[in-house]
Amino acid sequence: MKGRFVLVLLALVAAAALAWWALRSGGGTAERPREAVATPSAPTPGPGQRIMLLFPGTDGLLHPELRQVALPTDVDERAMLIVNELLAGPRSGLLPAVPWQATLLDLFVDDSGIAYVDLSGPPAPLAGSNVELMVAYSIVDSVLLNCPELHSLQILMNGHEIPTLTGHLDFSRPLVLNKRFISKR
Amino acid sequence: MKRLTIVLAVLAVLLGLRPVAAQTTGTVSFRYAGHVVRAPLFGSRVELVPVFALLGATAKFSPAMGTWGVQLDNHMIQFSPGLRVVLADGKLAEGREAPVASPGGIAASTDFLDSMILSPLGFHLERVADGFRITPGGRRGAPLTVRATAADFSTTTTLVLTMGRPAMAHVNETRPGSVTITMEDASPQLDRATVLRSRRIRGLEPTADGLELSLAPGIGLLSWHALSDPPRVILELGPKAAPPTSAPQAAPARRPTRKGVRPIVIDPGHGGKDSGAVSGSGLEEKNLTLAVARRLARVLRRMGFAVRLTREDDETRALTDRTALANRLDALAFVSLHANASRAASVRGAETYYMSLDSASDATAAAVAKLENAAGSTARSGSELDMILWDMAQAEVLNESAQLALSIQRRLNSLLNLPDRGVKQAPFVVLTGATMPAVLVEVGFLSNPKEARRLADSAYQDQLAGALATGIAEFLRSGR
Repeated sequence: MKGRFVLVLLALVAAAALAWWALRSGGGTAERPREAVATPSAPTPGPGQRIMLLFPGTDGLLHPELRQVALPTDVDERAMLIVNELLAGPRSGLLPAVPWQATLLDLFVDDSGIAYVDLSGPPAPLAGSNVELMVAYSIVDSVLLNCPELHSLQILMNGHEIPTLTGHLDFSRPLVLNKRFISKR
Repeated sequence: MKRLTIVLAVLAVLLGLRPVAAQTTGTVSFRYAGHVVRAPLFGSRVELVPVFALLGATAKFSPAMGTWGVQLDNHMIQFSPGLRVVLADGKLAEGREAPVASPGGIAASTDFLDSMILSPLGFHLERVADGFRITPGGRRGAPLTVRATAADFSTTTTLVLTMGRPAMAHVNETRPGSVTITMEDASPQLDRATVLRSRRIRGLEPTADGLELSLAPGIGLLSWHALSDPPRVILELGPKAAPPTSAPQAAPARRPTRKGVRPIVIDPGHGGKDSGAVSGSGLEEKNLTLAVARRLARVLRRMGFAVRLTREDDETRALTDRTALANRLDALAFVSLHANASRAASVRGAETYYMSLDSASDATAAAVAKLENAAGSTARSGSELDMILWDMAQAEVLNESAQLALSIQRRLNSLLNLPDRGVKQAPFVVLTGATMPAVLVEVGFLSNPKEARRLADSAYQDQLAGALATGIAEFLRSGR
């Protein structure tokens, strides 16, 4: 009887240990769930480093908005944080960087310093080169200004390369920092 | 040209400006027109600056850009240390090896000096007992096998001449219906298997200087360009534009060339399934741009210019086809018309864009760096090299595009009293690959109700067309 009790106790301890290990390792070798990336993180409050985000203004140009966030040292995570902060929207009366409820599906950085940002696409076609330029360079300039390790960024939609968003700007290749659309005022 | 220099500079920084480690290892003599100069050797390469001085050529190095420019008479050769690509009189060519930075400035192999610099300047290099002799004129080169293939399209024919080895080609329409193709340092010989079947080509025959192409009546050379890997020359053939019967005296900008009258290509943005932006009252961008384009074409024709539209009606046209048409016609200028939209209804005004090579040059630099790091130059693929050459060709016209954009924007601002949103640069698809001054004009914002009403007014469209035509004409008359 005593031996059976010890066996049951050992089994319970082993099961508990396995459960703890599984929880801690996040499911072992399973892929990271897309939702973990897709959900825009809430704006990060509290102390940290200052970042500059660029949002469109009512003059059709980009305007800076400064925020204090805890910046990760890893460039992938930092770029992801910047994009999620952008997608969470402006706090200072500017316009949203992306004019639809976009989510970040994935973000990765290759060895040569190009970031690939995969967003959910717009539900309906957009129009106007200004709309296109504001979407592209709010993301490109915000990420590249805060991640000096990166030299260019390509925006993907729903996991695919797109030739253009509204029929003007070339989205088929990585874009570099372009300060021409940042307001001088 | 300035932009090309910038691209060369970027590539040069990536590839060529390595520390100068080796030292001068002797001298070699060059003779020209009774004068002799002893050029120092830098390893196995020759210091080039003394050779340029011997010829009386002006050689200048731009430290900021990292590029060399050699000028003699009407010739201009540009190159950079570390780059095999050379721009000779506006034509890109690729050498077998690159020049290097040296104590004397720039050093290269005698093969590079001969084929990439002296030959375009109109000289050739001969080895003599105590060095080299520079002689004016070309040289009858070694036999070069050329394979010719032709493809007929609805209105044009593309002729591809594939060469057995790289050679700098020159293509000229010497008289109506006859085109000569010469290749420097080479005596082209047609591949025996060549059988040309084209309704626009009568024959292709070897001559003492190269190849002679005979064309069907009314067919001429529209454009040509060279590509590498495999080395080839591509000729676009098609009906020649009828010569103007009369032109007003105040139309100095119509530029007849060896290829005939070159048109201005106007591109009404969007079309067909792609409506573009739509105003609150339902005015579609595709219809507005077509209306303004037709008016603009009329004004330009009255000024004496030849004009082509990329679409004559409400048709879907791929962005790349629009630029391709302008390239095929060897257009004087390419103007893509658009109307803008913003999420802020208050935004209004016109803006003019020209191509930004930021992304292109960056990608080019990355591609070059990757290729240079690859084991051996044989890793270089044709398409990647073509991309580099293409970007560089585009860079050459970038400064002219900027001038055209400024000229148009100035006129839009002053004639229409529009808020100046200025001249900007962006990598727009429709401007990519244009080999002539090319701009995209946003004539106003359809998202602004007041401006949309104005844009819908036919009298205002006439004013817009007049301002655009004046800006284009001023640019072309300036002789840039």
